[in-house]
Amino acid sequence: MKKKKLAGWLEIVLGVTSASVLFLMMMLTVVDVAGRYLFNKPLNGGFEITEMMLAALIYCGLPLVSQKREHIVVDTFEPFMPAALLRVLDILADAVCAVVLFGLGYMIYGRAVRVAEYGDTTNVLKLPLAPVAYLMSALIVIAGCIHLWHALSSRRPDASQHGHGSA
Amino acid sequence: MITALTALGVMLLLTFLRIPIAFSMGLVGFLGLWWVRGLGPSMASATTVAYESGFQYTLSVVPLFILMGNFVTRAGMSKELYRAAYTLVGHFRGGLAMATVMACGGFGAICGSSIATAATMTPVAYPSMRDHGYSDSLSAGSITAGGTLGILIPPSTIMVIYGIMTETSIGKLFAAGFLPGILAIALLCLAVQYITWRDPKAGPRAERATFGERFSAFKDVWAVVVLFTIVMGGIYGGVFTTTEGAGVGAFGAFCFALARRALTWRTLLQVLLDSARTTGMLFMILVGALVFANFMNYTSMPADLKNFVESYQISPIMVVVAICTIYVLLGTVMEELSLVLLTVPVFFPLVVHLGFDPVWFGILIVIVVQIGLISPPVGLNMFVVKSLLPNVTTAAIFRGVIPFVVAEIVLLGIIIAFPEISLIVPSLMKL
Repeated sequence: MKKKKLAGWLEIVLGVTSASVLFLMMMLTVVDVAGRYLFNKPLNGGFEITEMMLAALIYCGLPLVSQKREHIVVDTFEPFMPAALLRVLDILADAVCAVVLFGLGYMIYGRAVRVAEYGDTTNVLKLPLAPVAYLMSALIVIAGCIHLWHALSSRRPDASQHGHGSA
Repeated sequence: MITALTALGVMLLLTFLRIPIAFSMGLVGFLGLWWVRGLGPSMASATTVAYESGFQYTLSVVPLFILMGNFVTRAGMSKELYRAAYTLVGHFRGGLAMATVMACGGFGAICGSSIATAATMTPVAYPSMRDHGYSDSLSAGSITAGGTLGILIPPSTIMVIYGIMTETSIGKLFAAGFLPGILAIALLCLAVQYITWRDPKAGPRAERATFGERFSAFKDVWAVVVLFTIVMGGIYGGVFTTTEGAGVGAFGAFCFALARRALTWRTLLQVLLDSARTTGMLFMILVGALVFANFMNYTSMPADLKNFVESYQISPIMVVVAICTIYVLLGTVMEELSLVLLTVPVFFPLVVHLGFDPVWFGILIVIVVQIGLISPPVGLNMFVVKSLLPNVTTAAIFRGVIPFVVAEIVLLGIIIAFPEISLIVPSLMKL
């Protein structure tokens, strides 16, 4: 029960964050273009903010995708598999995803530590990159935890879930 | 060669065991590079791909075009497009099905997703065709097939992804999709004519619209025209980059959705969230595919394929035909986006090496994806339409799409035979 609450809370925070980041990204582009043409005043280093927002958007979206099981799965052979086998495969798949994400999160964390040591910043605005890098690794690990939780609770998703929205 | 083939085999096995495609590609790519180059380089490569893909300015085009498509879908512009096309061709035999195809084409000009196009057109076009006595298979078939115009007519998600993966200009790809898109509309309409010639009862004539009705219907599509003109005109007029065009387009679509009172706080959040999740999902696939591609480039696979083609003196165009055939066949049973991401790292270097234009190959890829999306048994568009029309049987949809699949295969043949159709617009625009 407590886990459910945590998951719901996380979903709201990440959802609102990613939604606002995306909206701001759109507005920033428009303001940048409008500023350049209407007022002859481009946003200095606007693209750097867009880049940081993109990174935040992608990796905030990741745990949400994992939570909703929206990663694209090839389900060609699903109709030929017995339900019990599907169950086992889903648990295995979630375990593999968790391992991959923990590994990736660890590697990105390593990168983040280096970025922090070198004090890397963006070129124009001199914004520090380390916080974004740490955030990335944390969000990847969170996504990994979600898969692990799915695997352990062996929650069967709705049978009719197809990957969608891609093409 | 052995390493690469083994890796491909393992990867396919993992995906068939229901490991999400992004993860199976990334994992196999990582392990493969570890095997051929060592753990250190493999870790460095994967870290760099995952870290730096997030920070690439040009990639922000992806979420912004997705957002634009979602706003446009929410704004419900499909209704006006359908009505305009209806007044134009509704009185012909099979006219409403042709109107559906044309409206899908129009919607494709402001939306880059095949599934969204089919989904938004279904509730508009199907009831109208049903009320006019159209057969279920023709109605569902024309919507399913028409939806694929969403990715051929610019903007297009598939073109953006192909462009990013192969470092081909997205602006050129968009321009190159224009004429093939119009040709596709014509061919799909021909397919409708064929169906109704075989069975006139499948698509009876509707009443002819008066000039006044046509005028008022066409007046209503101004929003679509304005949006398309701003985005494409801005990109090709040099006013802004493709990335900025996507942002401006998303904002334009947001304004139209607001003006039509199609947005509440709740639906706005929903649209943003859906777009954010789709972005997250696509980028994971992109990261996985890039890790996999990095590994593939370290194997002898690309060179071996070239040698194979050269040693057997296979003519270059036959190689392309063979690749397309493989795609069409695999596309019947596989999810198309994954198929493209998986195979482009293998085929693209070969095609370029043979001297073909990467833009042209990109258009071919889009067309094979289109075919895959509507070819039974695994075609995502059919599932989307089916889920929106529970009363229509799957068998009817399968039967209905076959003539359209044939029409799109003809389209593929024409574009292979006459690359100019895709390349003339980008070259005229001096892109």
